[in-house]
Amino acid sequence: MLNYIRAEIYKLLRRPYTYITLGVLLALEGLYASMFAFHNAHSLATPFGGAVVTLVEMGAIGFCVCLLTGDIVFAGQYKNSTLKNEVSFGLSRTRIYLGKLIAQTLLSIVYLAVMMGFFIGLCAVVLPMEPSAGFYSAADAMTIVGYFLAAGLPLWIGAQAAACMCLFLIHGEMAASFLHVGLIFVAPSIVEVAGLLLEGGIGELLLKVHAYFPNTMLYNAKAVVGDMGYLGLAWIVGAFWVAVCTAAGLYGFHRKEIK
Amino acid sequence: MNDNAAVLAAYGLKKAYGGCMALDGVNMQVRRGDVYGLVGRNGAGKTTLMRMITGQSEPTGGEMELFGASGKNMRGQRSRTGAMIEIPCFSPFLTARENLEYYRLQRGIPGRQAVDEALEQVDLTNTGKKKFKAFSLGMKQRLGLALALMNHPDFLILDEPINGLDPEGVAEFRQILRALSRERQTTILISSHILSELSNVATRYGFMEQGRLLEEISAEALHDKCRTCLRLEVDDAAKAAAILQTQLGTDKFEVLPGNVIQLYDCLDDPKRASYALAQNGVALLAMEQKGADLEAYFLNLIGGGPHA
Repeated sequence: MLNYIRAEIYKLLRRPYTYITLGVLLALEGLYASMFAFHNAHSLATPFGGAVVTLVEMGAIGFCVCLLTGDIVFAGQYKNSTLKNEVSFGLSRTRIYLGKLIAQTLLSIVYLAVMMGFFIGLCAVVLPMEPSAGFYSAADAMTIVGYFLAAGLPLWIGAQAAACMCLFLIHGEMAASFLHVGLIFVAPSIVEVAGLLLEGGIGELLLKVHAYFPNTMLYNAKAVVGDMGYLGLAWIVGAFWVAVCTAAGLYGFHRKEIK
Repeated sequence: MNDNAAVLAAYGLKKAYGGCMALDGVNMQVRRGDVYGLVGRNGAGKTTLMRMITGQSEPTGGEMELFGASGKNMRGQRSRTGAMIEIPCFSPFLTARENLEYYRLQRGIPGRQAVDEALEQVDLTNTGKKKFKAFSLGMKQRLGLALALMNHPDFLILDEPINGLDPEGVAEFRQILRALSRERQTTILISSHILSELSNVATRYGFMEQGRLLEEISAEALHDKCRTCLRLEVDDAAKAAAILQTQLGTDKFEVLPGNVIQLYDCLDDPKRASYALAQNGVALLAMEQKGADLEAYFLNLIGGGPHA
């Protein structure tokens, strides 16, 4: 397995897509941070804490980044027909699947660290650190963001497992992306609406199910900062998504003809 | 493993796609040291068979053994094989060296020199920073072969490996196969539409048609069956045979049913035979020079066809 992961890292470090994607994401972050600086120069006075805490509103972007990192590591294996090189050497499909999932997760964590570090560092440079009225202090903001990251990490990894499953089960990255977006963003809304419309036990059940979608869990996390029970639940839900998506992905991949 | 041990054995192997039988009860044996030429038309089942051997596809019936291992145990034996099935496929954004290094790391092949050796073997050392997506078909074939050879396989599985190679490349490829077979006793299963090329390297043949293996035959036996002869149809075969022995001093002939004699002598001067027979009162009803190459043999076996 270590050999497989080493090889995946070797490949993704030589893939321009890896750097271009990160570059675009950092550029967007830079643009976002510079908007605060621009406003500060004219009217508003958003301090470091006020800008950094807005990260909690952008958790859903993490789910989209999972799809990008999944695609970077998967590297069009079906489109380029390269899986046959791995299978024909006798590498087990379980190793191939898990190796890719681990490589995707590692890349996501690196992306997360770089993006967070870049945004927080940039805000520290271009925005005032002193608290101002109506904004969080730097310390409070970092506490909120820290909790949000701690709760978000397992949920993003769950979404990463979903992305990996979609890429392995569906030929064509576009279709796989649609399925992933459907699972992470559309399905919770449908379940919630159905839960609200249906009366009785089924409606209640659907609303409970809705609460355990990664996107819902992450959205609700910002309202319960400091709640360790919720943090534990986030890790359990994340682990559940990883387990279910990986089991489904492995089941499907084992039955797939490599063409 | 003894010399005659089967590297690959298939027993009643079947593969169905919907209602279509891509393989229909294939029984075959590839023995250690064989260069096994798989011959068949497009859609005969050659690639399907090779895809099953390499684990890309599962049979719907029958059994297969690779180095004596069957079922799920076959997977472990696949690390002893090298394969190039259909068009070689690699990451388009990596160079030849990077692609091989990726697979070297993935397969746990020790030493970076394995990549250099493989590239050198297929004469692909000077591609520099050229990405795979910019490779010609011939270069892709060479890289595919390099990957198949990188782990020094005991069993090499090659599907149409010389497609896209220039004449020099074909000659080099032939030399590589011969060297592998001679020096390393590598067992090779190879399919090709260029039958003349296949006949240059194969030591055994399997002929496939419509998912079935029609015949397995050694190169020697095929050579015997295909060798050029004079086919003589006479009124008295026994008398003609005696004349050939006494008058022409040859025993290089076969007497076949229907008063037919296949004479493997006098090929450069058929008149000698006809004159000797006529002089001794044997009526020569028909005489023709007969012989077949691999292509003719195959076409004859499948009952004729537009292409092989």
